[in-house]
Amino acid sequence: MTPASQHDPDYNYAYLDEATKRMLRRCLLKAIAIPGYQVPFASREMPLARGWGTGGIQITAAIIGPADTLKVIDQGADDTTNAVSIRHFFARVTAVATTEETTKASLIQTRHRIPEEPLRDGQILVYQVPLPEPLRKLIPSESETRKIHAWAEYGPIYVRLYEDIAQYGHVTSTYSHPILVNDRYIASPTPIPKFDNPKMHMSPALQLFGAGREKRLYAIPPYTKVKSLDFEDYPFALQRWDEPCALCGSTSSYLDEVIINDANERMFVCSDTHYCETRRAEGHEGPQLAKAQSVRLTGCAP
Amino acid sequence: MITMLEACGLRKTFTLHNQNGVVLNVLDHVDLDLAAGEMVVLKGPSGAGKSTLLRILYGNYKPVAGAVRLRHDGEMVDIVGARTSRVLDIRRRTLSFVSQFLRVIPRVATLDIVKDQMLTRGIGDAEATERAAAMLTRLNLPEQMWGLAPATFSGGEQQRVNIARSFVAPTPLLLLDEPTASLDPVNRDVVVELIETTRKAGSAMVGIFHDDAVSSRIATRVMQLSPRKAV
Amino acid sequence: MIEEAPLLRAQNVTRLYGGRVGCRDISFSLWPGEVLGVVGESGSGKTTLLRSLAGFEPPDEGAIHFRHGTEEHDIYALDEASRRAMMRTEWGMVHQNPRDGLRLDVSAGGNIGESLMARGDRHYGKMRARITDWLQRVEIDSSRIDDSPQSFSGGMQQRLQIARVLVAEPRLVFMDEPTGGLDVSVQARLLDLLRVLVRDLHLAAIIVTHDLAVARLLTDRLIVMKDGHIIEEGLTDQILDDPHHAYTQLLTSAVLSA
Repeated sequence: MTPASQHDPDYNYAYLDEATKRMLRRCLLKAIAIPGYQVPFASREMPLARGWGTGGIQITAAIIGPADTLKVIDQGADDTTNAVSIRHFFARVTAVATTEETTKASLIQTRHRIPEEPLRDGQILVYQVPLPEPLRKLIPSESETRKIHAWAEYGPIYVRLYEDIAQYGHVTSTYSHPILVNDRYIASPTPIPKFDNPKMHMSPALQLFGAGREKRLYAIPPYTKVKSLDFEDYPFALQRWDEPCALCGSTSSYLDEVIINDANERMFVCSDTHYCETRRAEGHEGPQLAKAQSVRLTGCAP
Repeated sequence: MITMLEACGLRKTFTLHNQNGVVLNVLDHVDLDLAAGEMVVLKGPSGAGKSTLLRILYGNYKPVAGAVRLRHDGEMVDIVGARTSRVLDIRRRTLSFVSQFLRVIPRVATLDIVKDQMLTRGIGDAEATERAAAMLTRLNLPEQMWGLAPATFSGGEQQRVNIARSFVAPTPLLLLDEPTASLDPVNRDVVVELIETTRKAGSAMVGIFHDDAVSSRIATRVMQLSPRKAV
Repeated sequence: MIEEAPLLRAQNVTRLYGGRVGCRDISFSLWPGEVLGVVGESGSGKTTLLRSLAGFEPPDEGAIHFRHGTEEHDIYALDEASRRAMMRTEWGMVHQNPRDGLRLDVSAGGNIGESLMARGDRHYGKMRARITDWLQRVEIDSSRIDDSPQSFSGGMQQRLQIARVLVAEPRLVFMDEPTGGLDVSVQARLLDLLRVLVRDLHLAAIIVTHDLAVARLLTDRLIVMKDGHIIEEGLTDQILDDPHHAYTQLLTSAVLSA
């Protein structure tokens, strides 16, 4: 964990000007008041291109304070370029403490994963959202999708599930599986793997979603019902792996497939790097840990 | 004697707007009463308005003046000016028109054509099929033809399909426009017999028959019409 | 057989486009189970009228009443959510071009299934059975259930569209030139199919067509439109065999055999 220091005096605190942060907070309050409802907001230019997480960054900037401890993950990893850059950005413009430890963070900005360790009361999870509208692929018209949300005419969205079962015998979507929030609004869970969908249900943490390019934000307040869409005779099902994490031996986490050489050898490892490292530090060992260490695939050695 | 139909004061003109507005005066002050079990044959030279009268009785032509009351569900209803759905209900259950031409949707099989009216009236499919088959057999239409659409049949065969359709479950009122016109003697006799049986079963009929032998065999009464001049 | 109260009542419906008249002062009633044809030349206001009746475009003047149970609703006085709910459940629209009424990127079964899912069906197996049943009713081989409608012929696409509309069990169907782009033999098959479905389901229908032969085969009653007005109306065979208005006489005489 990197402790707090002094923020860069050339920038306003958390980069955005105070009026913008107020605007964002007002929109967030509305979003929290109407769980799952997409609130339009005036998305600002950020020092990186839209589509690279500007929605999440703006939300984080609007709510972060000196007492916060920030964790940033990209596809579950704390050590990828995007995660590292965003963490550095906030360290510079807010000087908050940063961490890789899920339990120590008060604020977690994420791209496409929910940490494996259960979240707790008081934590806030900020999602970077590329496409906030779950109906867009079926209904191109924005005015029409707004009406559909307004009157909960959610029949068409099931067409996607129907098509999957008809063509493949089961729902094939592995990520971005639409959710019904608080029995009212259908929302996109962002492209998190559907493995993570159940973690959203009745989560003690506040979940905030920001789409910078699409200029929408929405929220799932703590302890809110979140249901993944399904059919009565094809209930929502999680993907399973035939083997445990090759490094830490976890059988309950979301695994990424990693190709390790040109001989078609591969291994499945936890996508949540911090979780995996913690387990290894505790002495858990996966079947290929030794091999992975020999080719230095484990990042920092435990 | 049960009155099935009372037509009174019928007057019919045709205005041909696209032919210099010529007005044809076809019927004037025509009255007709018809009781159950009667067969009134309309007589008169060509242009006397026999077909026109028949079509007015069916609600197909709209008279300029007069009324056509007929017994439907136990009460007398004027078909002139009745609401469309009422007219259609009358035609479904009380009144039918048998011409020498078969007018159907192309490609529909003969058996289905004959069954159609019965199905519309709520008769079950099995019974409808049975009755249709019996009627087609009686009219000497062999079974090989039942599954085919009548478009390719000869004129006489099409005509018999039409008769089968109308007489398989006859309505209390029947209007016949030369139903025997182009039939061979054998089939003509079958149809004449069919008409007789239906009439004796209580249906009331008005018909046009050019064949005097036929009309004298089946008419219980003759009504004479005379041509009118254009005005 | 015919119930006494009208299902739909159009009352002085007028729709203007700028200064031009789409349709003016149209009034009529439609009873349950009745098939009404609207005929007239292109540009006579038929489609404009249909779109107003079907809830797509509010008329500038007049009202459209639809009976739901014992109550009559002015469909444009209803809030939009209720009107859309009625459009999903009470009536359906068969477009002239099946591409306007189908999702071409969704399988044939998905197209029919969407209507079921829209009314709340959430059981895949039961939906699948209903979809299969409907494919058979519209004479599409049920082995085509998972095929894209893009691989269907025009006539099949039109039948699929009809199944998609009718599976929702509407009481009224609007059809805009349903046999428009089809060749004659395909038309005949579709006409017979429509006739049987209308009879078996006791559907009311309003069919816009410029084809008098289609009107004669399918409709009970006709409205003849010219320049946005109704100029003649009555029993279909009476209008076609004994037309009174000069324009209707011209229309019927222009056809070789209707």
